[in-house]
Amino acid sequence: MNKILTIAGLTWKSAFRYRLFWVVAVLLVASVVALPLVLVDDGTAKGLTQILLTYTLTAVASLLGFVTLWLSCGTLAKDVEECQMQVVSVKPIARWQIWIGKWLGLLSLNAALLALSGAAIFALLQWRANRLPADQQEILRKEIFVARAATRNPPQDFTPEVDQIIKDRVKNYATLPENDQYEIRQQITGGLKAELTEVGPGYRRRWGVDLHTLRDRLRDQPLVLRVKFHTANPNPDAQYNTVWIIGPTNSPAQAVLPEKLPPDSFQEITVPPNMLDESGMLWVDVYNPEDTALTFPLDDGFVLLYPESTFGINFVRGIAVIFCWLALLASIGLAAASYLSFPVAAFASLAVLLMGLSSGTVGTVVENGTIMGFDSAKSAFGHTPSDYIIVPLFKGALKVINLVENFSPIDSLSSGRSITWGELGLAVAQIVLLLGGFFCVLGIIFFQRRELATAQGTS
Amino acid sequence: MSAVAEIPPDVAAAPVHAKAGDAIVSVRGLTKIFKDFWGRPKAKAVDNVDFEVRRGEVFGLLGPNGSGKSTTVKMLLGLLYPTRGHIEVFGHSPRHVKTKAHIGYLPEESYLYRFLDSRETLDFFGNLFDLPPKERHTRNEQLLEMVGLNQVRTRVVGEFSKGMQRRIGLAQALINDPDLVILDEPTAGMDPIGCREVKDLILALARRGKTVILSSHLLSDVEDVCDRVVIYYGGRIHAMGTLKELLIKPDAVRITMPPLPRESMQRLLEIIRRDAASDKIQVDNPTQNLESYFLEVVRKAKEGLAETSGATSGSRVAPYLRGDAEAVPEKDKLLERLTMAAPKPVEPVRTEAPEPEINKARLESLAKAQEPAPAPLKSGPAPAPAPTPADLKKADEKLSSLLGRPPGK
Repeated sequence: MNKILTIAGLTWKSAFRYRLFWVVAVLLVASVVALPLVLVDDGTAKGLTQILLTYTLTAVASLLGFVTLWLSCGTLAKDVEECQMQVVSVKPIARWQIWIGKWLGLLSLNAALLALSGAAIFALLQWRANRLPADQQEILRKEIFVARAATRNPPQDFTPEVDQIIKDRVKNYATLPENDQYEIRQQITGGLKAELTEVGPGYRRRWGVDLHTLRDRLRDQPLVLRVKFHTANPNPDAQYNTVWIIGPTNSPAQAVLPEKLPPDSFQEITVPPNMLDESGMLWVDVYNPEDTALTFPLDDGFVLLYPESTFGINFVRGIAVIFCWLALLASIGLAAASYLSFPVAAFASLAVLLMGLSSGTVGTVVENGTIMGFDSAKSAFGHTPSDYIIVPLFKGALKVINLVENFSPIDSLSSGRSITWGELGLAVAQIVLLLGGFFCVLGIIFFQRRELATAQGTS
Repeated sequence: MSAVAEIPPDVAAAPVHAKAGDAIVSVRGLTKIFKDFWGRPKAKAVDNVDFEVRRGEVFGLLGPNGSGKSTTVKMLLGLLYPTRGHIEVFGHSPRHVKTKAHIGYLPEESYLYRFLDSRETLDFFGNLFDLPPKERHTRNEQLLEMVGLNQVRTRVVGEFSKGMQRRIGLAQALINDPDLVILDEPTAGMDPIGCREVKDLILALARRGKTVILSSHLLSDVEDVCDRVVIYYGGRIHAMGTLKELLIKPDAVRITMPPLPRESMQRLLEIIRRDAASDKIQVDNPTQNLESYFLEVVRKAKEGLAETSGATSGSRVAPYLRGDAEAVPEKDKLLERLTMAAPKPVEPVRTEAPEPEINKARLESLAKAQEPAPAPLKSGPAPAPAPTPADLKKADEKLSSLLGRPPGK
């Protein structure tokens, strides 16, 4: 372990001697402090949150991400190119120890920089929050400076129902052209979703949330419903009457809450304490008295929030998830540098990063089954032979990317959602151990097999 | 307790069972072909090389640039992998991690971290050998003193001159008191004092039973210190053996003695001319070589002054490198004043005149020899040929004209 720590310590010395640490630290703190000064908030709790949490944390994560990739490629590839590695690797230290030492050095450096900028953001947030109007401070205290866990209905797979409907109603489906098959499936799926999401005029819709495992913890605690709906009315200023009936069915304890809500935005409704039924279920009905249909999206149309922890702890856990991302980037950079020269390694790592950032495009390709766009003349998607290679590749890539992107600490923090210890553990397992570990093993294998004396010194 | 006894057992142990004369390094059929991106052969750097290096010897790899010396060294260290052939170092593969605890390596250039200072550099490498902090500190101090960098210990390596970088490079190669020291062009970029110090250090290590592999294209380096050499050309070994085997000229004898009276000299030459042709006999004054002369001048200059911002002359060999045999009885004595010409057990050709006593019996036996006396071994500047009468006459005329006198007066 001493040898690994010695190599890790070298990264620190290098960062300080080349003044990299101070330059990055100043950049980070400047972005944390200067960005909110440049981008003046609108004096609301949400505006403050947007600027202080969303922008600054995104800036910090991006800056540190690029620095991590750059450093991780440089620290190994340059040591090989400038031949210092020739002197180190002839000492009694295994190559995997050198690799891990470099990785740990980068991680500890990132941890320090992240802690520094995180502390600055947190302090600034508290300071700026105290300068908001009282009503906005109240919103901040209730909605943002909290750590509320969210529970919602699990995503539903409509495939079996769609298959059944096709089987029952569509004749000769198998012989239809591929585009027609796709269109039919889309229409049936849309219809099924509409049944679940639409609350027509004069209709009501019910959600049931199983909270039996949390019953004791939630006793006497108010809960919050976060809802969002869309309407066909294009007027953004329109508001709609809704009636929320919450609590055990046919119970005198049932609460009836009339709410006038705007569409297309998240709205919070406070649920009085102790509304669970005997089995620990919370039943929520919404009645639509309007003459236009309300559509509650399946994924985020209805979410129940309950207090899980404090904002401080949640903030630390959010920063820890960002740290997991940086650990993965360090692995990717080092793995590339284990085999490639510095510029090529940096290019390859950035390509991987960009692929990760363009998960939307990747997802669209996978969903459409082609890299070609929609051909409106043919009312169908175009196809190329390369789809047979690219689409499966993208499918695999998307699965990998989703392992990382399933965690969104910045969104969670800025909306007061809790990042639970379980989520953090999952992030460590998926991002650091699984993906980071994969790149670690790959990098160590490359580095182990590499001839370290083929480069001529460039120092 | 000696220095080595304090270091962890796994560092101090393995190869020391090897006895003097055992093969420390064994190379058989070694071939290295560099290939291009597509795997096509690009250059054959080493071609079917065989040799062994035995414990306690100073082994030289000699050859012109690009002859395969450094490639061989890098394969010995596991930095390059052989295309064919077999290498054993202390009975293991060159990539065996624990074996590396017994090897010290100085690369052909100072591939050190430029942002570390001298002390940090040694501390860093000492840590890689798991040396305890106290031992590491002691060795760092001794090595910095030995290589003459103790006054610039806080300057970062990147600011060093090439010679100073070689010195700190040499120090890091010795931090583990290695049993096998591999030096690739160790004197490159060094001033004459540094060169001499390195050579003396190599000899001091050899006296302690350490094995040294020296790769160089500087013939004088190899000649001064090596017991055995291989000569590379085009990736192949073209000659191998001890320096004595390779360099001796059995058909010539050289006699060195104090100046004799003219008559005695004449008589001696008369005797020799009876058995050897005049053109085979050379008589001259031995000259000191430039290195010895330079070192003497610097030694005298040092006695009177002076501060330097660069490397100072190295001091004695680090005590832990000298070993007990030298360190205990003469603890306080400067064992190796590196700026002085140390006595060399293996020095094939002496160029500085030690002025030995005339061995008359030997002289007579030589004079009585039936075979014609061979010409002396050449070393240092070639002796001037004996002046002919025409030359003497010409010189006499020149001298007379300078003195304003007619010739012959």
